[in-house]
Amino acid sequence: MNFFQRAIKNITRRKTKSILLLITFFVIGNFVIIGLGVSQASQSAKILTRQKMRAVVTYAADWRKIDKYVQSLEDEDEINKFYENYPRVSIEDVREMLKDERVRTANAISINTVFADEELDYVHLGNKAEENSGGGQSCYYDDVTGEQTCVEYVEPHFLAKGNYFPDMIEIADGGYKVTEGRFYTQEDLDNARPVILITRALADHNNLRIGDTITLYLQSPTDIEMYMGEYGITMEDVTKEFEIIGIFEHNTPLLPDSPNYDYASPYENPDNMFLLPNTAFDDMRLTIAQKQFDHWAEQNPEDEYYQNPDNRPTAEDVLYLNDVTLLLNDPLQVDDFVAEYGEKVGEFFSLSANNEEFERLAKPLDTLSLYAKFIVWLVVINAIVIITLVTALTLKNREYEIGVLLSIGASKAKIIAQFFIELAIVAILGFTLSIVSGSMIANKVGQTVLNYQIASSGVNETDDYDYYDYTSIWDTDYTSDVTLDDLVSEYNVTVSPLIIGEIYVVGLGIVLISTIIPSMMIMRFNPKRILMNQN
Amino acid sequence: MAEILRLENINYSYIDGGYERKILNDLSYTFEAGKFYTILGPSGSGKTTLLSIIAGLDEPKSGNIYFEGKNLKEIGLHKYRRNDISIVFQQYNLISYLTAHENVMLAMSETDNQLPKDRKQVAYSLLEKFGIVHTKADRLVNQLSGGEQQRVAIARSLASNVNLIFADEPTGNLDTATEKEIINVFKELAHDFSKTVIVVTHSDTVSAMSDQRILLTDGILKDI
Repeated sequence: MNFFQRAIKNITRRKTKSILLLITFFVIGNFVIIGLGVSQASQSAKILTRQKMRAVVTYAADWRKIDKYVQSLEDEDEINKFYENYPRVSIEDVREMLKDERVRTANAISINTVFADEELDYVHLGNKAEENSGGGQSCYYDDVTGEQTCVEYVEPHFLAKGNYFPDMIEIADGGYKVTEGRFYTQEDLDNARPVILITRALADHNNLRIGDTITLYLQSPTDIEMYMGEYGITMEDVTKEFEIIGIFEHNTPLLPDSPNYDYASPYENPDNMFLLPNTAFDDMRLTIAQKQFDHWAEQNPEDEYYQNPDNRPTAEDVLYLNDVTLLLNDPLQVDDFVAEYGEKVGEFFSLSANNEEFERLAKPLDTLSLYAKFIVWLVVINAIVIITLVTALTLKNREYEIGVLLSIGASKAKIIAQFFIELAIVAILGFTLSIVSGSMIANKVGQTVLNYQIASSGVNETDDYDYYDYTSIWDTDYTSDVTLDDLVSEYNVTVSPLIIGEIYVVGLGIVLISTIIPSMMIMRFNPKRILMNQN
Repeated sequence: MAEILRLENINYSYIDGGYERKILNDLSYTFEAGKFYTILGPSGSGKTTLLSIIAGLDEPKSGNIYFEGKNLKEIGLHKYRRNDISIVFQQYNLISYLTAHENVMLAMSETDNQLPKDRKQVAYSLLEKFGIVHTKADRLVNQLSGGEQQRVAIARSLASNVNLIFADEPTGNLDTATEKEIINVFKELAHDFSKTVIVVTHSDTVSAMSDQRILLTDGILKDI
């Protein structure tokens, strides 16, 4: 008849007490299960949704900060000076970030519309916009003089995407797939080699193969003739022959049912897209910038700025980066990465996890998780108080039994162990029953409280339009759209093995803490006082 | 006969209303093995205090107690209670949620003494020896009469295979016929099983049947 057997006998033969305790633990268990379930479901929904989003971080100039700083400047010269050297994203910073093993690749992209000679025909959509293809005349009236001015324009047919790194997010995540040849290398970038990748559709349409060459113009002959000629810029300055080193396929076809289809220009058709080292255009950009500067210097002999040779554009000046997008290996690493590198970039820059909308939508889940945890703690604390009181009061009734056990030489440790086991067994039974009932009600309760939370948080209402967040067709949006439905669909309150484990740990924790005060009372018990008083 | 328990210069007092009240006053006595002792004395003479001290439930203010020649301070009170003695109380002191049989088994599980392997059977035999048949042995103790409960308490005292048994007014709640029965059991324990039985009592009937009557008066023990 050891202390464990005594504990079992006490539970089974003092049924009323045991059942009351069982009900108490059962109720506590249900609250804890629902609390833990809701909290875990909220966290899981966030994690699962976040995992589905692209792991992209944007490194860009922070125009809010820049504008605020400029507005704080009072001197006009200071403002001009600031704008002459306004903050640009540092390619060196990005190279450092790329060394981080969490970073998969980066896009430091510049996009240019380009022109080709007649030998290269673009892939036709056969849409309404093609009726105007080739350009035309655009006329306007001067407000003051009332004279009409007409401008000739030729529409570009191709789009050139150049990266400063020998990889692209689209390649890394399978959006673009090089099916023949190769992608450009760091060596191609360092030497500004005129190499290019074309789409499979364009290659087939023009019967082009790896090793063939195509000639591209950065400006149209019309532009050179009408606007740029005055700066001394010639067609030779903006013409380059590129060797085809790769053929790729993309997963973003412009389909007839697309809303943009009818009026999409040829360069908006992804089949008419080139991928090339961004440095391949650097020499042309530099020539254009320098010729324009020289022109203005000649036209403005008194202007200090143009007369200062230090202000003449250099190769560094044409290396212009508005923003860089980094692709990380794991979406769950994004926040830590942003927090870590956000402190390292300059004051006018920012790293963005691109998850503002996600965080906004996830607010009800965060609140729910917080409330759920709060309820769990509240229930646990109350449970400890209640069970401690019940056990302490029971001890008074069992003083005599303790005296008997002490008189026959039972150790106080064994008596405490018996009390602990009695409570622990009932707690395990109560919590086991609560797992069964909790599994049935947790999801319903969880859905009800989430719906209430969403309704009361007003998260469905959209924010005011933010002009800083405007995205033009020239920007590539690497972020993933996420909706409240995405989050809610991942929210599923279940009693997972983890929760089952947690409930038993919580239950045994409650029992352990609840036994502390009664144990201290037992340690003070004197068998003589108990038994002699009794007798 | 061999000495089993020797008390040497035992003193015990407590503070009552700011004054020290002496209960045991330089008390010395030697108990021999295999004898049935009764300790008598008027109310308040300190009989129960003496019993609690020699049973290891309390400690004297000064003096030494030797069990089979070993000082209790060396043995340790807890170990002494577990392995060397048993106590039978007026209120039987059985555990109510255990059966008679389980109460007896309880004493067996706590002692370090060598016991027969088939403890369950030994417990039934002990109970049967004191008139508790198998069917009654499996009942919860509060379903038994007072006399039966006291027999269970005596059976429990023997279960741990100790040589020294104390009893505090063991027949206080029993009728005369049962009282005699219980005293005969004690006599039997002393004479047939070589146990030393020390009973604190008010009852002349009980004391008359003991081998040695001792009077506790003025804090000392005197043979009568």
